Amino acid sequence: MRSKNQMAIVTALLLGALPAFAHHGWSGNEGEISVTGVVEATVNLSGPHGTMQVRDAEGTLWHITLAPAPRTHRAGLREDTIPVGAEVTVHGARNEDSGQNEIKTRRVTYDGTHYDVYPPPRD
Amino acid sequence: MEDTLYAILLWLEESALGEAVRDSGVWTYGWLNLAHILGIATLFGAMLILDLRLLGAWRSIALPLLARPTIPLAAVGFLIAVTSGATMLTVNATGYEGNPFLYTKLPLIGVAVINVLVVQRLTAWRRALAGHDPGSGDHRVLGIVGAISLLLWLAIIACGRMIGYW
Repeated sequence: MRSKNQMAIVTALLLGALPAFAHHGWSGNEGEISVTGVVEATVNLSGPHGTMQVRDAEGTLWHITLAPAPRTHRAGLREDTIPVGAEVTVHGARNEDSGQNEIKTRRVTYDGTHYDVYPPPRD
Repeated sequence: MEDTLYAILLWLEESALGEAVRDSGVWTYGWLNLAHILGIATLFGAMLILDLRLLGAWRSIALPLLARPTIPLAAVGFLIAVTSGATMLTVNATGYEGNPFLYTKLPLIGVAVINVLVVQRLTAWRRALAGHDPGSGDHRVLGIVGAISLLLWLAIIACGRMIGYW
């Protein structure tokens, strides 16, 4: 009985940790958005999250936030994978502050290849 | 103050260290983060014991006995946390411009260091550390000092944790 209670507590703590993780990942970003444009700054994997910059046909510069560097790297997206000037499509969740042209990325498509840095959202 | 902080951030980012860290592979930031949390754990764990003792816990343990392990541990933890934290900042320091948590945390670290220097000069602290009999009001002074220290470190850690969520 006692160990059952302990299991319940541990499970509750673990479940509690899940939304905390998701919070760091996706709060502040909402909806699904796809942006196609030209790479202005290549993939940078030096910080806590990978980044890149893409300018769309209307001239808007999008700040692309990728997964943490090791995860982005593991998804096949390296710093030298996509050159400046290449056309890419970025799919993810847009920063809910419409003044910020920032996308929290799930997928980058370049030259027919999909780089899924995060899994697609579940229904 | 804001300009000074920005100048520090810019200097960090443009430093040779920043350049080296940015070029050193995808796991570097994670390793730095690990060092940072170990430094904080060491610092805060030690300070928590010392500050709670100053606040009146474990009175049966003489302060010099507790001070012997906790003060050097806190100092080592502080050095690790500051070094790893500053190195993490060099990666993209100006990206944190205007981050209220960072702009609160950095000055608070300065206050915490000043607090340590002040405590070391207090008669009540010197008496307690030497194992001498406390003067009247010493318990009160040490309790206040312990509370200030604890609140400062808690605030610094809280601000640090929230930087990435801003």
